Amino acid sequence: MERPAPEMEVTLRKFTEADAEALFSWASDPRVVLFQRREAYARLDEARRYILDHVLPHPWYRAICVGGAVVGSISVKLDPAEERGGRRSSRASVGYRVAHGYWGRGIATRAVGVAADAVFAEWPWLVRLEAMADVENPASQRVLEKAGFVREGVLRSYVVLKGRPRDMVMFSFVDSDRKKTRPVEAHEEQLAKSNALVDLGFHVIS
Amino acid sequence: MEHSTGQESHPPAKKPAVEVTLRRFTLAYVDAMMAWASDPLAAAPCRWEPYASTEPLLAYLRDAVLPHPWFRAICLAGEDRPVGAISVSPTEDGCRAELGYVLARAHWGKGVATAAVRRALETVFGDVEGLLRVEALVDVPNVASQRVLEKAGFTREAVLRSYCVLKGRVKDMVIHSFISTDTVMQQD
Repeated sequence: MERPAPEMEVTLRKFTEADAEALFSWASDPRVVLFQRREAYARLDEARRYILDHVLPHPWYRAICVGGAVVGSISVKLDPAEERGGRRSSRASVGYRVAHGYWGRGIATRAVGVAADAVFAEWPWLVRLEAMADVENPASQRVLEKAGFVREGVLRSYVVLKGRPRDMVMFSFVDSDRKKTRPVEAHEEQLAKSNALVDLGFHVIS
Repeated sequence: MEHSTGQESHPPAKKPAVEVTLRRFTLAYVDAMMAWASDPLAAAPCRWEPYASTEPLLAYLRDAVLPHPWFRAICLAGEDRPVGAISVSPTEDGCRAELGYVLARAHWGKGVATAAVRRALETVFGDVEGLLRVEALVDVPNVASQRVLEKAGFTREAVLRSYCVLKGRVKDMVIHSFISTDTVMQQD
């Protein structure tokens, strides 16, 4: 795959309060928040508060940057339901939003790929990264498929969004999916991961 | 089409329907619970290890079962002594809860689990406000448990790969669901 021109390359960085205007530009857009729990923001101050109260304390929340502009955000959350008595969760979920003017360029796909690489490297106990897309959101389903996620099935009435139950398509990217992309590094990482898991008390079957 | 030698010209009789009641737990059930709580085979697909004595089981009953929003003892019709347990546990979304059950081995293979799941589905939506979806996750090789859910009216939705770590092993899990508007299947 050709590398994009440097000014069009997708990079991720941490948010600062100064990004409030950029965040407001998509968080106030009904098209972007259509499949999110939150209603569109009406005031810049709501975006600023969201950065301070939710984004900055979040364990993994990044701004999606293209050519120096902040065009969206991506976040990964470890699932607390999989924590067991001090053992860290083996499962996390990823969510993302891109400003409407930047849709259709593969930006979300690249951001998901960068985020997946980063969290599997940072969290050696992670075995499954999952994501869900509304059944009526084929664009988001395509992002995940192009990023190498596997479509697993439709989960009926999985969440209530703005008062209505929604069927969601579940996708996942698991540890063994990564080996397909980079065999040599994947083997070294797998050894490191096995050692980390044994240290944490798991039985590792290779 | 060949007929089998002699014998039936009609399909085998259905198993007589098992009747169960689901009762709220009391501490007095602890001794009956030991029948499945101490059994490594019954415990194998569950998150907990078999119990060696009643003291920790009593603590579990007191601290986890009694305060639980929906946890029931499975009793055979006309009997007071529980033969298993069934629960519907909240998740991070109020519309969705997870079913789990365990049965003493002496009562496996008789349709007791299926009857208990049916009974739970008939009552839980009325008991839990806002509940729309009951889901159940079963280890991929555990076909018997998947059959129980399907016979009760659950829909098999997907295999969730590497979904959880159960007793040190990463598991692929089959997820099933029953939505409040689905119909409980009454016949096998």
